[in-house]
Amino acid sequence: MNRRDFMKSAALAGLYLKIGPAFVEGRTAPDLAQVQGEDPAAATREAVAALGGMKAFVSRGDKVIVKPNIGWDRVPEMAACTNPQVVRALVEMSFDAGAKDVIVMDNTTNQAKRCYVRSGIQDAADQAGAKVLFVDEHRLKKVPLKGEWLKEWEVFQDFLEADKLINVPIAKVHSLCRLTLSMKNWLGAIGGARNQLHQKLDQGIVDLQAFFKPSLTVLDAYRILVRNGPQGGRPSDTQLTKTVLAGVDAVAVDALGASFFDVKPQELLYLRLAQERGLGTFELEKLRIEKRTV
Amino acid sequence: MKKEQSRKYRVLQILRIATQAGFFGLFVYLFSVSHYTGHDYIGRTVERFFHFDPLIALTTFFASREFFVSLALAGVTILLTIIVGRVVCGWVCPLGAVHQFFSFVFKKARFLRPKKEEKASISWKYAILVLVLVSAVFTLDIVGLFDPLSLLYRSFAIGIFPALARISSGLISLLYSLRINSAAQAISQFMDNMMLNATFRQGFLIILIASGLVALNAWKERFWCRYLCPLGALLGVVSRLNVFKLRVDEAKCIKCGLCTTHCETQAVPYPNDKWRSAECVYCETCAAICPTAAITFPVKAKPEKITTVDLSRRKLILTTALGAIAAPFFRITPARKRASLFLIRPPGALSEEKFLQKCVKCGECMKACPTNALQPALSEAGPEGIWTPVLVPKIGYCEYYCSLCTQVCPTGAIKELKIEAKTQIKIGSAWIRKDRCIPYALGRPCIVCEEHCPTSPKAIKFVMIETKLFDGTTATQKAPVIDNALCIGCGICENKCPVVDEPAIYVTSVGEQRSDRNRLLLPE
Repeated sequence: MNRRDFMKSAALAGLYLKIGPAFVEGRTAPDLAQVQGEDPAAATREAVAALGGMKAFVSRGDKVIVKPNIGWDRVPEMAACTNPQVVRALVEMSFDAGAKDVIVMDNTTNQAKRCYVRSGIQDAADQAGAKVLFVDEHRLKKVPLKGEWLKEWEVFQDFLEADKLINVPIAKVHSLCRLTLSMKNWLGAIGGARNQLHQKLDQGIVDLQAFFKPSLTVLDAYRILVRNGPQGGRPSDTQLTKTVLAGVDAVAVDALGASFFDVKPQELLYLRLAQERGLGTFELEKLRIEKRTV
Repeated sequence: MKKEQSRKYRVLQILRIATQAGFFGLFVYLFSVSHYTGHDYIGRTVERFFHFDPLIALTTFFASREFFVSLALAGVTILLTIIVGRVVCGWVCPLGAVHQFFSFVFKKARFLRPKKEEKASISWKYAILVLVLVSAVFTLDIVGLFDPLSLLYRSFAIGIFPALARISSGLISLLYSLRINSAAQAISQFMDNMMLNATFRQGFLIILIASGLVALNAWKERFWCRYLCPLGALLGVVSRLNVFKLRVDEAKCIKCGLCTTHCETQAVPYPNDKWRSAECVYCETCAAICPTAAITFPVKAKPEKITTVDLSRRKLILTTALGAIAAPFFRITPARKRASLFLIRPPGALSEEKFLQKCVKCGECMKACPTNALQPALSEAGPEGIWTPVLVPKIGYCEYYCSLCTQVCPTGAIKELKIEAKTQIKIGSAWIRKDRCIPYALGRPCIVCEEHCPTSPKAIKFVMIETKLFDGTTATQKAPVIDNALCIGCGICENKCPVVDEPAIYVTSVGEQRSDRNRLLLPE
């Protein structure tokens, strides 16, 4: 048994343990949840509920990091950062599931405080009781990523110390890797010379996803960015799709997310690399997708 | 004779110290809140101290021939000084408080031993005042070099607080290494919220000047206030009426000379007829220290005779002449002839000539800038532009939705702008160095600059290019090209370019819309 097979069977065993009990009851959680609704928070709640509820991902006493995209100094109408209501709903659900601590943080691109405030995420997460923290350079630690390309990189230790990671990105266009969905969001959990990752971005994205292994991935597609990515700048650069996607398999989440841009999953190099790596599957036809409306 | 200090003046002295501490605290407070607080607009209060400064009001008015409304508040200071003398120097001025505090410390530590009779000339500050005022009349505004508020704010913004930020960073590291994580995190988050800029060119020089001026207090008490401060000189000149006149009760006086020895500003309380009212800052030290309570400040409305200002006619003529020829001296520079490559001014900055006539080099804008982009100029703007703000994209960039620097400028050298108006202002143009750009020169993917370009549509687009590589093969990559008409010169592309040492994309001032001559493209 080589390492990859071992990881696969370990993941399968883990998956069984997670959904096994439900299976016995005669209902399995779907692979993906796709919920449409006027209210982003309600859609988020429904999507997580469709996957078996937050208790399937967060245990009592857990220290959870909810990782949105707060990268840009842009208001929610610009769809450059994750919808604050989606973030708030995830924080609340984590606490309801028994989390001891919920931290919301991101290594921003524009000035951090401006991004935190103007994205609306600081207020929303704060009201839900989360610790909204700026990333702290002093907490950077060079760790082995064991990636295909990235052997080691500087990671904020908060992410290493958390019991559970919930990735909550926003769906946007990106001129280098075409779309930035969930897996690229991990660039916000690392420090160092991140701008050099563009030299082999697709591989970098996969290496980071493999390293961080989030417990749950929720993709905010309430208002997606369709032009001038990844920061837009005008409301006309966005499109209101009023949908929230969720899944354990981030590759599948991203594959489904791509459909909002009329992009086939195979067209995204990082999805192909991720599937080859055994991180998940982009073959949506093989997955059970639960679609709901709230 | 009964030896007893005056209770009343002891109380007044303590009250004065408390007032000084209060105004110093207010100054530091306004300094510390002059940043992005979570609101787009932070109000005009943070720079209010400057509006009460008549020296700045006069020189910017003389130099620019324009009156900035907020500076009308300086009239309050003038009026107050005419009536009650230089109480502003003794009770209000935060720089005065700093010097007095250190004089006190140095005296206690016996570094400073005041002479019984001080003979040093106090005329230098009047010479500086004349120089500053006369050169302003000839449109040269050098008040920023000497004005006490500018000096203090600049020292805080560029030297002292950056140093404090670095000290706190060291402390955070220490706490983390000791595993006191919660305290380390609390300090780190607090510092992030304070948004102190910690990187400044010339930071070392500015802090050296500030330390030097403080160190001079070990030689003469309140050295700056006594010998150098042109604002103090101006207030001395207008303190004609000062209704509180020092009086030494000859019957009580034991001629010990303590009052004159310890007078903070060399105003010579004894002998009584030698008292220089224009030098007195009403610190109340003499009255409080007098062992027999012989000194009082009774109200007497009779104006002073005009012998108090110690500036001979010879010196007056000389400094006036110097002020008159200062402008041409300062302007023997190519900066006047042709726009300078890296002289990128903050958005809203007036045209260069007007800007230099109004900028007082205080550093308010540099403090408020959320990305540390605004830096004190050294040579970019010629000698008269030293310490004026320039945007240095290698250090920081102009944040698209921010107009804080335009809001905090105390003299209107940077015109106040709403966010929407600010995003439309072009302060320079970006250029690509193809010989260093990763896709162009090395055939690898990048276009980080395109990703960061904040305008919509983006001023940086990409095209597919073929790069011949060293091994004879050809790489096809997306490479950046610039649409100059959309570029606002914010500099984020240069700031984020992964070619760190000499970025492959860089911004220069050409195309800045404040200038008629440094323009680039005419509309098609």
